[in-house]
Amino acid sequence: MTTAQTPEAVAARKAQAKRDHRRKIIRTIIGRGGAYAVLIGFAAAMLFPFLFMVATALKTPEDTFRYPPKILPRTAATAEVGGEEVDLFTVEVPGEGVQTVFLAEPGVEAGLFASLDDPETTISWPLEFAVDTGQTTTIDGETLPIYAVTQGAETVDLALVRNTAVGRFVGLDDPNIETFAVVRTAERAESIDPQWQNFREIIDLRDFDRSLTNTILVTILVVAGTLFTSITGGYAFSRLRFKGRNAIFVTYVGSIMIPFVVLIIPLFRLMVSFGWVNTLGSLVWPFIFNAYGTFLMRQFFVSIPKDLEEAAYIDGAKRWKILWAIFVPLSWPAIATLATFMFLYAWNSFIWPLVSINGANSDDFVLTIALQTLGGQAGEGPNLIFAAIVLSVIIPFTVFVFAQRYFVENVATSGIK
Amino acid sequence: MTAASVSSVSTNSGEPRWFLPLVVWRVFTAVLLAAALVATVIQRGIVVDGPVRLTLILALIGGLIGAGIAIRGTLQRVHLGRLSGFAIDFLLVVILGFIALNRMGMFTGLDAVGEAFNGNAALLLIIVVGWFVSGFAERAGGNQRNIKLIARWTMIAGAAILAVAMGIFPGLIEFASRLVRGEVVLFAIGAAVSAVFARLLWTDDAARFFGTNQAQSEAMDGMLFVAPNVLGFLAFFAGPLIVSAFISFTEWDGLTDATFVGFQNYIDLFSDSLFLKSLRNILVFGVVAIPLAVVPALLLAALLNSKLPGMKFFRAVYFLPSIAGVVGVTLIWKQLFNSTVGYLNYMILRVTEWFGAIFGATWEAPQPQWISDDSIALIAVIILFIWQQIGFNTVLFLAGMQGIDGTLYEAADIDGAGPWAKLRNITVPMLRPTTVFVVATTTILGLQLFNEPFILQSPSPPSGPNNSTLTPVIYLYQNAFSEFQIGYASAVAWALFVLIFGITLLYFRRSGEDGVLSS
Repeated sequence: MTTAQTPEAVAARKAQAKRDHRRKIIRTIIGRGGAYAVLIGFAAAMLFPFLFMVATALKTPEDTFRYPPKILPRTAATAEVGGEEVDLFTVEVPGEGVQTVFLAEPGVEAGLFASLDDPETTISWPLEFAVDTGQTTTIDGETLPIYAVTQGAETVDLALVRNTAVGRFVGLDDPNIETFAVVRTAERAESIDPQWQNFREIIDLRDFDRSLTNTILVTILVVAGTLFTSITGGYAFSRLRFKGRNAIFVTYVGSIMIPFVVLIIPLFRLMVSFGWVNTLGSLVWPFIFNAYGTFLMRQFFVSIPKDLEEAAYIDGAKRWKILWAIFVPLSWPAIATLATFMFLYAWNSFIWPLVSINGANSDDFVLTIALQTLGGQAGEGPNLIFAAIVLSVIIPFTVFVFAQRYFVENVATSGIK
Repeated sequence: MTAASVSSVSTNSGEPRWFLPLVVWRVFTAVLLAAALVATVIQRGIVVDGPVRLTLILALIGGLIGAGIAIRGTLQRVHLGRLSGFAIDFLLVVILGFIALNRMGMFTGLDAVGEAFNGNAALLLIIVVGWFVSGFAERAGGNQRNIKLIARWTMIAGAAILAVAMGIFPGLIEFASRLVRGEVVLFAIGAAVSAVFARLLWTDDAARFFGTNQAQSEAMDGMLFVAPNVLGFLAFFAGPLIVSAFISFTEWDGLTDATFVGFQNYIDLFSDSLFLKSLRNILVFGVVAIPLAVVPALLLAALLNSKLPGMKFFRAVYFLPSIAGVVGVTLIWKQLFNSTVGYLNYMILRVTEWFGAIFGATWEAPQPQWISDDSIALIAVIILFIWQQIGFNTVLFLAGMQGIDGTLYEAADIDGAGPWAKLRNITVPMLRPTTVFVVATTTILGLQLFNEPFILQSPSPPSGPNNSTLTPVIYLYQNAFSEFQIGYASAVAWALFVLIFGITLLYFRRSGEDGVLSS
């Protein structure tokens, strides 16, 4: 602060401060813009397959094999002209640009004409608009007659390569527009036309509703069963003292580490000996005893203050009643978290149903198996497979919209212990 | 209630009426257990093989010892008699009830329920609507009791209509007719009698009679509460786990008798070129896919943590792939991977053209055969895995970041630290426990890779072209369920488990040495 407070110095400092401020704002804008760009980029990558899923589910089978691919479902457009259904085409009309036209007359006698300067450029045009000039030209060693061809207002000299046939196309909106093109290669006009009946078809033809019902049933039972055993178990581990409690609890927590693949074979043998193979029961009963759920409930119950239950206990309430009347109402967040976790687990599990529901009878299929079977059938159009996928994700996505908090909470609680 | 009213008319000697029947029952159960033990040992009546027989014999010996203790304790009128008697009766209810219900086809009856449920599922909506209304009424608070009451009755009515529509009455009649059929009735009666005595021993009256004190009653409650969970855990987790270890030392096709071969299966693994190939694949997969599923997630989470508007939307979007379910998602990607009409190759083509136009060159765009080319197939699986996992990991990291003390960032702001410096010097070090967890879970998941290659390659064999997508779990699946080499498949499972366990332990050990997880 030894510098003199000259007016120039003050002004310079102010200007510097202003510059700094502006630079900071610019940096913030760039930073935020960059952040949003990255976030939006990833969001697009995450969303595109789902967008593609919905769009493909609404397509016709041919539309799914189109190249280059187009996202929206399209079908060839038709229109009613003079009481008849006609196919529509998009054709470039000389002097009028690209027009939507319909085929008025097929099989018009025509010639394939080549440009004299550039024989690679050809056009098919009716012979009635061409007049033989009597001259000839030689292209690739072939002697070809030259015709004066009239296209709209223009007339040019072209070489006739060979005879062919074209269609006469008339403008849909303006009947005065008339043009000619080879019908086989003319581009069909298309309209966006979602095929909603794909959903009906997949439900009716493939009994997909049965798979959906089975999945709903299995999921409800797994969620309810897990909640019950986890709540009672968690309560015992958190509040009741008995011999061996801690040893059992440590075993439980340790068992979360053990990968399921180790259990597949013996569990399958167990299902065989119980007679549960190829039944929905095999998807429910072994999965309602869950170490993770017990752990989650126990951790939540531990955090509940003891005063509440002690008052009730002195009043003579039984523990069973205390659990359901005091603990459970206080534990909704943890219960909802566990419920969403088990919901996703039951709804989406694949490898175990693949092993235990291995019959050909689709009556005991769950969605994942039905989808896998459908996807493995070479003859099935992708549109129906995708309609089935849409049906299989609707319920999880809806639940997610309403219970997003608990999904995220589930991640958070399992992540930070 | 009946037990309590019976016991109130106790005789003068302090011996309640139920005491003698109880003693008789105790002796009877002991005899029953002994008979079952003998039958299992001499293989008459109860014929089971291998590990199940051994387990059964051990369990029955345990039960017999317990029954002896129970008789002694009952006669001495001490708490141990009540506890062990109750435990035996409880287990008898569970086991006999299970056998009876299973013989009646009640556990597999779910399929019939599914059939009845199908078409009536719409009725569930009534219940759901009722539930939502009552939930909202609760949240609104105040004088919403009438609405809540109506909502509750709607739910009950919905459930009743659903039950009737699904045919509960014919179902009950069927239930009753199966109950009295054959030997089922014996098991059912056994379970019912055991239930009566279990209930009897549970009463306060019995507690007084056997002199149960506060702590003992608490312990009994605790065991009862934990029982459903522990019994299920033993039956469907611990038991199968031990059996699995046992099977891995045998050669077994699942039909004929298993032959014990010691460590032979494990020795064979090391010279099995297919198993080694699967290990190689999974290690390549892990080394590429795990960092790519974790590092971008960390950066995304740091951006999401910036409290800018719209972050909740992005978080929800990133989470979608983890909700959609692996089968559907993989089928979607299978179509995107399609080499002729798929979007991925089309985008590669367009991007190559675009860059080509900028640099004034014409480049040949690569159009890989994502699924059928053996040098690419694993890369397709990696892309799919990363896409599925990244959002989940982002949300995990975000949850961890929101637990970091905000004052650290304020202090850094005062020191003039930029966002990059803050990420490097505060977020990453403070996030160490979350990072270890994310990496460990991603690794555990990744090493069990099965679904993605299985569905991508279907209907071709899941091992992929030239075994390029063969993973240990796929190898296990093929061995167990197509080749019927169940012993060998179990050895593969345990080898994979050891690998996973070793790697996880390594992660946690390393972070443990840094003192992060010491708390």
